[in-house]
Amino acid sequence: MKTKSLLIAGILLLITTQVFAFQWPWAKKKSNTLTLTGSTTVLPIAQKTAETFMDIHPEANISVRGGGSGVGIAALIDGTCDIADASRPMKTKELKKAREKGINPIETIVAKDGIAIVVHPDNTVKALTLSQLKDIYIGKISNWRDVGGESGTIVVVSRDVASGTFEVFKKLVLKGDKVRDGALMLASNQAVATTVSQTPGSIGYIGLGYLSADVKALRIDNVLPSNKTVVSGEYKLARPLFMYTNGKPKGLVKDLIDFILSHQGQNIVKELGFVPIK
Amino acid sequence: MKKKQSWYLLTLLLMFLVSSIAVAGETKLEMYLWNRYTYEKDETNTFSLERGYFRINQKFSSDISGRFNLDFFSSDKDTDVHGVGVKLKYAYLDFKNLIPIPESKLTFGLLKNYFGSIYDWSYVVMEKAPSDKYKFISSTDYGISLYGYIPNGMGEYAVAVTNGEGYKKAGDNVNTSPAYLANLRFIPISGITIGGSYYTKKKGTDKTDYSAYAAVGRLAFGPLDIQFEFLSKEDDGTVGQGFMIMPIVKLTDKFELVARYDNWEPNTDEDNDKQTLIVGGINYFMRRAKGKPVVMLQVNYENTSYEDSSKDSKDKFIAQLRWEFSTKL
Repeated sequence: MKTKSLLIAGILLLITTQVFAFQWPWAKKKSNTLTLTGSTTVLPIAQKTAETFMDIHPEANISVRGGGSGVGIAALIDGTCDIADASRPMKTKELKKAREKGINPIETIVAKDGIAIVVHPDNTVKALTLSQLKDIYIGKISNWRDVGGESGTIVVVSRDVASGTFEVFKKLVLKGDKVRDGALMLASNQAVATTVSQTPGSIGYIGLGYLSADVKALRIDNVLPSNKTVVSGEYKLARPLFMYTNGKPKGLVKDLIDFILSHQGQNIVKELGFVPIK
Repeated sequence: MKKKQSWYLLTLLLMFLVSSIAVAGETKLEMYLWNRYTYEKDETNTFSLERGYFRINQKFSSDISGRFNLDFFSSDKDTDVHGVGVKLKYAYLDFKNLIPIPESKLTFGLLKNYFGSIYDWSYVVMEKAPSDKYKFISSTDYGISLYGYIPNGMGEYAVAVTNGEGYKKAGDNVNTSPAYLANLRFIPISGITIGGSYYTKKKGTDKTDYSAYAAVGRLAFGPLDIQFEFLSKEDDGTVGQGFMIMPIVKLTDKFELVARYDNWEPNTDEDNDKQTLIVGGINYFMRRAKGKPVVMLQVNYENTSYEDSSKDSKDKFIAQLRWEFSTKL
């Protein structure tokens, strides 16, 4: 009985201490450390801006991880990251879960991006309509001959379901339909770019920042993806890129986000092939 | 009989698995395992598998998805197969956009019972949710439900019509009167949740009146999370009432401290029948993946005491390794 009372008293004491002290000394987060987790599309922006920021502020210690938008948002809700990188807006289900746990997600748009449709450089096809693109991804069209190319099976490369890019692609292109069976579902933009560059006959989709000479971007509805066409709205497969924080950014989180939104930060965004918001 | 039942469930599982692979779509396999040690003086001193969920989630399209879930658990009943018991826990199909309400879904099958805290009980402590522990309602039941989100993540709602007998009864044990359920959860500002549930049915084969309601609340600010629940039920004229309070304190990313206090009176007309439950414990998150804990050690001390002085209080020590993993086919 005595043990039980001591245990209960101990627990109550701990809780009371928490209420007033708010954080244990060993739990107190160091003010100069930050963790960013989430979208692999936003990853290059997060990495490069964090590196530059740490060059300017050597006392800052910023760790950047990928995993996908869903993973980043889950980590923000779980309280294990400071900034969730996302290439799609939060879903209502995620917002509800966050609010229940006392997390107040605040969204900051840090860049814009076009989703480039890419094929192997040797592919003779140069353009597709949105309708043809959808038919390829849902399996109605399976040979390049049917879209004006040379005869050959189309190898469909997609992103996995944790990906925000996949969510946006699904909304803008598939419009409720599902990706065909047998499509390669890959975990990152880089994996898609590498697979397409090494697989003649393949088609994939990646963020503008991952375009290189190793893959060929297609015109969609006669518009090539570029900063200019994304800003003008001519290129339809475009979306904003987000960073989510718990509450209004403050402290080091605010400093980093302010830096990304600054002229210098937005230049980095541009250098990486994404579209600056300013 | 149980042996036959287990084989029947396993056959169902295999059929679902094979059809999931054969049918176009996206299939996700999940396992949730609880390895437990329980010590209760002069009563229990055992290692067991408390829960072994094997779950298949099948996404047929963006609007249609299904879940099939078997629960395996260690059992020493002679009739169970090779020391394992099996229960069918979920078997339902979700349809989004079947009715024109944004962010809603219709569910058919063996589905979650949206009552009180039972449907989103995450076992922060190892004891069951109060409405499950005090037999208000079964955690799942056969029926139809409409579930939806309030815009901007400000809450959720559900209405359901079910058998009212839970997932353990079928066939002749189910009466012809359905059960009706309504549930609302509202989050006016981040960190404050309020809500309630109402449930009514005709109980058993003699169809006696049964109704229950729950009021729930949650306050979550910084490292502190406190959950409340008040419950009341009227079962053929007998009224039972109780409440629970559960504070959780996040110490670090790896540790959280948990406590729970329940006060339960099975019959408000009777004297001397109250009981209280006190739980204290710690959760240690050993491994996280994809933004959530996947390996966790839980240690709980539980004390149940009775107003009736002729009954001895019970003390229990429980340690549990909880782990989960998933893969997509």
